[in-house]
Amino acid sequence: MTVTGQEITDYVGRVRAALADLPPTVRDELTEDLPEHLAEVAAEADGTLVDRLGEPEAYAAELRAAAGAEAGAGPGRRGRRLAAAQARAATQLRALDTQLGPLLGQSSVSEFLRPLRPAWWLLRGWLAALVIAVVLQEPSGLLPRLDGSVLAGLFLLAGTVLASVWLGRRAPGLRGWPRRLLRLGTAAFLIFSFAMLVNVDQHASSDQFGSYQEVAVDRRYDRIEDVFVYDQEGRLVRNAQLFDQNGVPIRLGWPSCLDASGTVPAPRNAYPYCPDRAPFGPPAPAVPTLNAPPAPGASVAPAPGASVAPAPSGSATPAPTVSPSAVPGESTPTPVPTR
Amino acid sequence: MDTTQLLKGVLDLAVLAVLKEEDGYGYDILRRLREAGLEEVGDASVYGTLRRLFAAGLLTTYVVPSESGPHRKYYSLNAAGRDQLTRSGKTWRSFATTMDTLLDDRGMAA
Repeated sequence: MTVTGQEITDYVGRVRAALADLPPTVRDELTEDLPEHLAEVAAEADGTLVDRLGEPEAYAAELRAAAGAEAGAGPGRRGRRLAAAQARAATQLRALDTQLGPLLGQSSVSEFLRPLRPAWWLLRGWLAALVIAVVLQEPSGLLPRLDGSVLAGLFLLAGTVLASVWLGRRAPGLRGWPRRLLRLGTAAFLIFSFAMLVNVDQHASSDQFGSYQEVAVDRRYDRIEDVFVYDQEGRLVRNAQLFDQNGVPIRLGWPSCLDASGTVPAPRNAYPYCPDRAPFGPPAPAVPTLNAPPAPGASVAPAPGASVAPAPSGSATPAPTVSPSAVPGESTPTPVPTR
Repeated sequence: MDTTQLLKGVLDLAVLAVLKEEDGYGYDILRRLREAGLEEVGDASVYGTLRRLFAAGLLTTYVVPSESGPHRKYYSLNAAGRDQLTRSGKTWRSFATTMDTLLDDRGMAA
């Protein structure tokens, strides 16, 4: 007899492990005679049990089917439903597998994926190196770094890739809980590396100033708080509206003073926001160059030009040039700076 | 057509039939099934079927000590088992006849 008691015990143990999802009573019922039975089998012919009967897991599956253990004697209703759902999902997955295969030019998707397995091993190694670097709080991009050194990172990368390939070549031999552990670990690992990759990607795609949003298109106008328009006579135009060549309102500055009701007015296309802060006062009363006497005081009624929509007049000409007399220091008498 | 698929449905009947002629232990039953022509039947299938039939109350067991090898657990039909064999046998014969007729009508050679 070439089969030892130890071999039988091991075989029975693995069969029982493969049936671990069954209720204990059902499993015991199924396997209580198994050692004796296997001893009979062993006594009949030569060869190891695995040679004669196949892998214990396959034996367990056949036993389970033959004994009708799924439909059977004791699994709770929830367990049965779970098993049924699992079976349904597996069936659908298999159907999908073969249905989608032709799209990839293969009989099934798994057929297509199988040759790509070594590529997955390499990818996994690379991801592992990145994960290790990130866990060690190293600032990494797409290459892992250790102590800020790319070279050390490359050594790490080589190590993880080799380990991953080794694991990949060994994994098909795993059974029972190591196999389950590997799958669980892989799932967790994938989720973690995805999160990390998103993080790395954000780092890579944003340069340092990218996050600031430009408010003004042209920085030359950044300093402008308010706009004061003077008419030909040097009088302040109130509620002037500014437009560009396309009729789009030109927005400059922001209201910084309180209006009559004591609140800061909302920005609007009517300048100036704060007429009281006009840089130039009203023109001097008697000025020979003026053909009409200006209205007195700051309470100038809106000049006729002010309410005119500038669109037809081709307001492309910048507002300040409308009143050349407003330029300080030139033509002495006209505007008097107030501050 | 895959014989293993067919076997699943009739293994109960086959095991009961084998045990009708003579009591047997697991490996013995497997060997007799194979000798009868069911060569693809697996050990686990027979063992599992025996366990199920036993749990269903169709078989009784007894242990026969052996001097040269391990003890052997023999299975034998009880009354319920014989009854089941008769009923299942009838069902099978009727089913087989139906299938035979179906195939004969379409000129399929045996």
